[in-house]
Parts: sequence; C-alpha cells; structure tokens
Amino acid sequence: MTISEQTKIELRELMSRYPQSRSALLPMLHLVQSVEGYVSQEGIEVCAVEVGLSTAEVSAVASFYTMFKRYPVGKHHIGVCTNSMCALLGGDNIWRTLSKELDAGHDETTADSMFTLERIECQAACTHAPVMTVNWEFMDDMTEQKAAQVVSDLRAGKDLQATRGAKVRTFKDVQRTIAGFDDGLVDEPSIDASMLAGLNEFKNSTKGGK
Amino acid sequence: MTILANSNQPKSNDNDLITAVIDGIAVRVPKGTLAIRAAEMLGIEIPRFCDHPALSPVAACRMCLVEIEGMPKPQPSCAITLTEGMQVKTQNSSQVASSAQEGVMEFLLLNHPLDCPTCDKGGECPLQNQAMSNGRADSRFEGTKRNFQKAININAQVLLDRERCVSCARCTRFADEIAGDPSLELLERGAKQQVGVADDQPFESYYSGNTVQICPVGALTSAAYRFRARPFDLVSSESVCEHCASGCSLRTDSRRGKVLRRLAGDDSEVNEEWNCDKGRFAFRHLMQDRITTPLVREHGELRPASWPEAIRYAAEGLRNQRAAVLAGGRLTLEDAYAYSRFARVALGTNNVDFRNRTASSEEQDFLTNHVAGTGLGVTYQDLEDAQVVVVIGFEPEEESPIIMLRLRKAVRNKTLKVIAIDSANSLGFKKLNADLRLTKPGNESAAISELIKDLQDQNSIILVGERLASSHGAFSATVAVAEKVGARIGWVPRRAGERAAVDAGLLPNLLPAGRKVFEPRDREVVASAWGVSVEHIPTKPGLTQLEIISSAVQGEIDAIVTAGVDINDVANHAAFAAALNKTFVVSLENRASSVIEFADVVLPVGAITERAGTFVDWEGRLRTFDAVMQESLALTDARVLHLIAIELGHTFKDDAKVTSLRSSYSSLGAVSKPGTMNLVAASTTKTGLVLAGWHHLLDNGSLQAGEPHLAATARAVVAKVSSETAQANGLISGNRVIVRSKLGAITLPLEISEVAPETIWLPLNSEGSSVAMQLQIDIGAEVSVSDGGAI
Ligand code: SF4
Ligand code: SF4
Ligand code: FES
Ligand code: FES
Repeated sequence: MTISEQTKIELRELMSRYPQSRSALLPMLHLVQSVEGYVSQEGIEVCAVEVGLSTAEVSAVASFYTMFKRYPVGKHHIGVCTNSMCALLGGDNIWRTLSKELDAGHDETTADSMFTLERIECQAACTHAPVMTVNWEFMDDMTEQKAAQVVSDLRAGKDLQATRGAKVRTFKDVQRTIAGFDDGLVDEPSIDASMLAGLNEFKNSTKGGK
Repeated sequence: MTILANSNQPKSNDNDLITAVIDGIAVRVPKGTLAIRAAEMLGIEIPRFCDHPALSPVAACRMCLVEIEGMPKPQPSCAITLTEGMQVKTQNSSQVASSAQEGVMEFLLLNHPLDCPTCDKGGECPLQNQAMSNGRADSRFEGTKRNFQKAININAQVLLDRERCVSCARCTRFADEIAGDPSLELLERGAKQQVGVADDQPFESYYSGNTVQICPVGALTSAAYRFRARPFDLVSSESVCEHCASGCSLRTDSRRGKVLRRLAGDDSEVNEEWNCDKGRFAFRHLMQDRITTPLVREHGELRPASWPEAIRYAAEGLRNQRAAVLAGGRLTLEDAYAYSRFARVALGTNNVDFRNRTASSEEQDFLTNHVAGTGLGVTYQDLEDAQVVVVIGFEPEEESPIIMLRLRKAVRNKTLKVIAIDSANSLGFKKLNADLRLTKPGNESAAISELIKDLQDQNSIILVGERLASSHGAFSATVAVAEKVGARIGWVPRRAGERAAVDAGLLPNLLPAGRKVFEPRDREVVASAWGVSVEHIPTKPGLTQLEIISSAVQGEIDAIVTAGVDINDVANHAAFAAALNKTFVVSLENRASSVIEFADVVLPVGAITERAGTFVDWEGRLRTFDAVMQESLALTDARVLHLIAIELGHTFKDDAKVTSLRSSYSSLGAVSKPGTMNLVAASTTKTGLVLAGWHHLLDNGSLQAGEPHLAATARAVVAKVSSETAQANGLISGNRVIVRSKLGAITLPLEISEVAPETIWLPLNSEGSSVAMQLQIDIGAEVSVSDGGAI
C-alpha cells in the first residue's frame, strides 16, 4: 500500500485546521489508519515530512497512544473492557470467551484478518458494565452469549447496530471519522437515560439545585 | 548566603533576589532558581537522574523528591522554582523526603538488571552510587524483570541496552534541545517505554557521543569503549582537543600509557559540557603508525639512526642552504613559536608558511592586521549575546561544531539571528534557522557588501572561515562592512593549530605576537625576547607556501623543514611532491605521513598526549594543557629544533622548554588595535560552472584513521547542484554525476539541493571525493560535469 496523493491532500487539510501544523499529528495518524489499516512506516514518514518532524518524533507519538496500531488491524477491532468494574461484572469471562472463539490474544489479529482483539481500559461507561467496543462503538451490558453473537454476526457480514443505536462500520471507516472527516452520522444517539441518572440526581439534590 | 547567577541561571539584579530556606539554611537566589540548584550551592546533594543543568527540566525520574512546606506531596526539586519564603526539606532533614526517594529508587530498580559487574558504567554510575546512598540495601522484588534483546545500535557508534534505561530522557532532550538532531526519542509507554530511533533512521548526529556521557546509567555505551576498561583502572587527565579550532576541553582517560577513551570536559566559557564525536572518538591516531626512532636516508632508503646522528645529519643538510619552513595545522603555540624562531635565526629566512590549504595574499594581509597577536577577541559568549551573527565561507557544524552549538543555543532562545553567505544549504544552516544567501564561489564580496542593511544598528559579529581565502575581495569586503556598521570579526580556521601559527608568526611577513618583520622596532623586541642580536632576524622578504613550492621546483630553494603537513591536502600536490623530491627535507612527525617518502631525515616528536602545550582556539583563547602520559620521553618539536639550532651554532635565551617558550611568547604582549589592511576590489564574476565544497566533519582526515565505528556515522558522500543547474547540464537526480577538471575527475551520486547557481558542491575530502587529489583544483575553479548514468 502506498499513501495516495488524495490522502496527502487530506492530510494537508487537517494541518490547515490548526495554527501550528504539527498539532494535527493525531488526526493525521488516524487518517493514515483509515487508509492503511494501521500506522505504517510509510505513513509515519509521510506525516513527518508534512509536519516537519523527524520520523523518530512521529514514531514516539504513534507508539505512545494505544489507539494507534503499529501492525495491521483486522477489518473489525473488538475491545473488551477488563478494568475493575467491567471485570467484576463479567468482563474477564467475556474476554476469555472471545479470545477462545477468535483464537487470538491481546492485540492479536485473527488468521483471516477479520478481527483484532484488545483488552481495553475503562471506557468511562461503567454504567453499562461490562462493555465491549466494536470499532470503538459501544456494546453495552454485554454477556458472553451476546458478545459471541456480535462476533458471529460480523463474521457473517450482517449489518450491526451498536447498543446505543449507532451503525457499526469497519475499523478503517471509523478511523476516518475520528480523523475529523464528516461521515454523515454525527447525530447518532450515544447517551441514554441511565447514563444521565447520576447527573439528574445531582441536579435535584440541594447542592446541585443552587 | 547569596548565590550569584551563573550562565545557566536567569540573569538578575539585586531586586530580583528572593530568600528561601533549605534544610533550615536561608539562601538568597535569583528568581526562577530551581530548588535543586540552590541546594547544590549550599553543598546539599539531592539525588537525581533526569536533572541536567543544561537541559530543560522534565521531572521524569522522581528521584529528587523533597518536602516543601504547604504542599501536600513530596515535589521534584529539579522542577520546582523557589519562591519567597519557601521552606524546602531534603532527605537530610525530612523523613518524608528520604522515604519518598527510597521508594522511587526501589521502583527504578524493579526492572534494572544486576549488571554492574559487566556494565561499563560500573564504578562511575549515578544509579549504583545513589542506590547505595538513597536506596534500600535489599530488593523486595521477586517477579521477573523486563527483558530486551541485548544492545541495539542507535547509530554505528552508540549502543543502547534498553533494560538498563531509567527513562530519564536526558539523551532524548540532548538530541532535541542541544544537538538539534531529534531522531532519538522515547517510544512506547508505561512498562514498555524505551529509548529508540525510527525504523528508517539511526541517530545521525555529530554530537551523539554526548548522550553516552550524560546517560546516568549504563544504558548508552560506545562501540569504541564498550567492555574495554573499568573506570577505576583509568587515569583521567584534563586535555584539549587537537581536531579543530573550537578548542574543546576534554578529559582523556588512559591506562598504562594507552588512551582508552575521551570525554567532553566541562568549560562553561568554551564547550560548556559538550564536544563532537570526532573529538571524542578519533584518538587512535595517537597510537597508530607511530614513528619510534629517528630515520635518516642512506642509499635512497630510510634507516633508523640515533638522535645525535640524526640531529647532526639534519643540521648538515640545512647549514648555509636556501631553506624554508612549512609547518602546518597540528602545532601548539609553543611549537609554532619555535618554528618561527628557528626559521628566522637558525635558517636565516622568512620563507615560512603554515597554510597547507587554499591561501591568498589578501588573506595573509587580513590575518596580519586583524588576527595575529590580537589575543582574546570575539568569544563564544559574545556569539550568544549578539543580535546577528553572519557566517561567511564557514559552515559551523562541519567546520567548528561547538560554534554551531553555541549559536543554536542563542537561536533557540530567540535572541539571535544567523545569516549565512555560502554556496549550499546544509543541515547545520537549517538547525540555525539561518537566513541563507546562496552565493556562487567568487561572488562573496558582492553578497558581503549587501550586509550593511542587515547589520545597521545591530550588535553583530561576522565569522569568516578559511575557505574565504579562495574568493578574491571577500576579506576586504568583510573588513569594509564591519568597519561601516561596527561589527566585530572572528576568524575561524578549521585546524586546531592555525590560530597559534598566525600568533607565532608562521607567515613570511610576521614575527610572533603580531609583530611585523619589516618594523624595526618589532624586530628589536622579538630579538631581545629570543636573546639574539637583531641582525639575526632576516629582512629579506620571505615566500609563501605556493612560492616556496614553485621556487623549490625551479631549484631556488635547497632545503625544507616540514611538520604536520600532508601533501595530499593541497591542489598543487604534484608540485609539492616535486619540490620535496628536489630538496633536502627534514620532517618532524609523530606518525607516518605523505611527506616521509621524500624526507632525508625524519625526527619523531611526541603526540599531543605525550607533552604539554597550548592550542589557541578561534577566539584567540589560550588552551593550555599538560601531558597525559607524564612518563613519556617523547620530545616536542621545539626541543628537536633547539637541538638542531645548537648544532648549527645558535643559542637562545631560553632552553626551549614548553614553559619557557610560553613565557617568552607572552612577554611580547598583545596587539592593541587592528592594523590597516590593504583593501582589494573583487575580480569580475566568473561565468560557467564552478566548484564549491567544504570538509565534512567526519571524512578521510588523517587524524580519524583507525576508527571504523566513527567513520560509519559520517554523512553520505554526494555531489549537490540546484535543479536549474541539473537541468542546464543534463544531470539527473539519483544518477551519478561526473565532475571534471583539466587534471582529473570525481564520480559521485547526485543530489538536487539548494545550491548557488552555476555551482556544483562536493565534500572536499571524503571517501571517493578527494578534491585536491583527484581534481587538483581549489574551490571556485571551473569544472565541467556530465551525467554518469544510473547507480
Ligand atoms: S538511555 Fe540513559 S540517558 Fe537515555 S533515557 Fe535511558 S537512562 Fe536516560
Ligand atoms: S568540536 Fe572541535 S575541538 Fe571540540 S571535540 Fe570536536 S573536533 Fe575537538
Ligand atoms: S471499567 Fe469498563 S467501562 Fe469502566
Ligand atoms: S531529577 Fe528531579 S525528577 Fe529526575
């Protein structure tokens, strides 16, 4: 794969959104992931040239953030939260089930390049623990069965909706969204009432009422 | 106690002082002073790894935690600036601080291998030492330590053992902040965090060895020194670098008469705490190809001889001959002084020239009036304080690397603007953010005259390099501009011995300390310092190097005394060889050189480690050093010349010991104001394609012999032209280009780059590109080029 001229134009567009072009490095690396499926060495070199950093500096950034992958990711990225809250509520079991089902460990990709599995840290979605993500869309209140079902639906090429309503696309598609390009899906639901319960409670309390 | 600001601290007047208390002791320091610095000044040592006075604070290692009244948690003293009334308690007075430090040490050691017995840093390791002073005696950790593949190369010279790293980020900050080569980085995060380089690029930096020196653990080592010695077996001596005119103070570590490594010395006025990789790693020349006994030529062959025989032989060959002295760039001030005196008194001639490179009479006039004997002139600090520094015919990083570091420091502080007048762009110019005025060799004078508008009402300095000697009218234009705008001029030769040679009078018209051959008063002063009668200083005008060579070829010179010159350094080396062939040659050398095959007598002198002396750096600063090998019996050039002079029936006031020569020289005093140079106009612009170039810092220079790891870090050897020049001459980027003079050709890969019009740039003495040897021309000469096909 090589980074096309079109992608370079888009990289420059991202740069133009910031007063200092190097500030655009994170979205640029996401854009690289959207075309390469990961942050390739070529992607690093292209970004370095564009923003005027050394390849070491760009590599440092790319290897620091865990959302940047240095090896090809499958068509779908599956994250299973195994931080305390989710783990206690079944996250560890979901992890074991999926790992076995996919025959893949942490940060590993299935032989057919369909899935990459990752243990993820708290997604600030503990209200719906245990959670799992598919290409960073939330799958709330998971069970081992539901999780296995998600995987088999994806494998079968079925359309899938995230539990909060968003349409599940591919890892690459989502990377493009994260990079900051409009995918026409901005207003999809992402919050439900139970997530606002705490806030409402606070607002109604004496402290929040003032 | 009042602590005064030093150069690494904020400048202050009395009103900016604040009072803080450390371990119960009140200290008055400038605002902005870091707690750790103030503690140091009180003699309180807080343990630290990441802290380094020349690097920006990061508080990465947490070793320096202290308790500060009013703050909830221990704070890193390396990143806390003191405020009025602040109460700081270090491990000496606070249990909180000392247990915090012990805790951090325990964390740092969790993943640190028990490598000390085989680690190069063992015995001089801050981690070892501070684990003893501020850690627990035993480890409570029972898990598996983090493992990495053993040492990886971050470049050909520097190796990294990642499991030893404490992630202090000293090396990476050095690379970014000081060297300006940000290709060393902290990669990954958390437990996987490690120092590294990008897949496509090693840590290419002329300053890479400094990271080995500042690494507080044994994570970074050099291929040259790794596993060679234990620090406690080494004898450390202060010394001065012989490689260039930057004048770095070094520390030379030796064991049983052998140099094992060299480190940057700490000299805040010159190299601060840094040096370049050439100075650090190129020292095997001190021990390689050494000449160990005097040699004399008999039946066409050199054979070993005793000192008395060789001295007598040399004296007989020189007696009453039409002689000349060609003594070049490696000389100390004391030795150069001895050559100057030997030529005048013992050989009765002013035929003396140190310049074994492109030289001109205009340059000689400039050196005579603006450099010789002027003492300390423009300094490193002046560069740092200036508003504008112009560099002309001088690429700081390649030709005097510490100047580049100092300029960069000021450029990073946004106080300095650098203007460069040169033939091509370079990494160094880019790092200095230089306003580059690309100039075809020969046209410098016009570009220099344009500077007036840039320098008006500015605190400005102009640095001129030795390459400017190839450009007619350039020195004159520089002096004219400097006078008009009140700028100061610094002359930066490439070699370590050139400034001393000028000061010692190794030029036909000069006596030592800027005294002039044709000034009767100067002749008298010098004669009395030497203890000879004034008639012993000849008045007959002397010849320059070029003239000496051509006269010798024509049979008008009978004998030549040479030291530290390589005939292959000059374009007219064929004539040089012929001249040496025809004359009686006395060669004073410490190692085999290109002159030896022509020599009639070879007199071995000590290498720079075997004797005391003084280099004069580009500032005019005396860099005096002692012998590293105190027990060496090697002679100095001065001593050998003295023996020949005695044989020839001449004696001087002193005994030619280093110290007596030094005081003899200083008794001559300094020149108080510049002389008047005879300004010449530039010649008309050359049309057609001309040659440009400079020496890469790391190249085929003879003092870099025997250093394969260092050589592997040299820059790529390519020819450079602008895209217009390429197009006009049918050259193709990435192909080879053939560069031809009337006498030879060089073929190199071509790179399209920012180069002056009608100019092709070549490295002057790199592998496959030895301009003097292959083309036998100087920069500024016309060349022809053609495409040399695909590589
Ligand atoms: S290699 Fe040395 S200097 Fe660099 S971060 Fe590690 S410990 Fe610090
Ligand atoms: S900068 Fe010059 S003087 Fe300093 S170490 Fe390098 S070669 Fe030696
Ligand atoms: S622990 Fe899983 S979302 Fe918070
Ligand atoms: S020395 Fe202060 S945190 Fe490292």
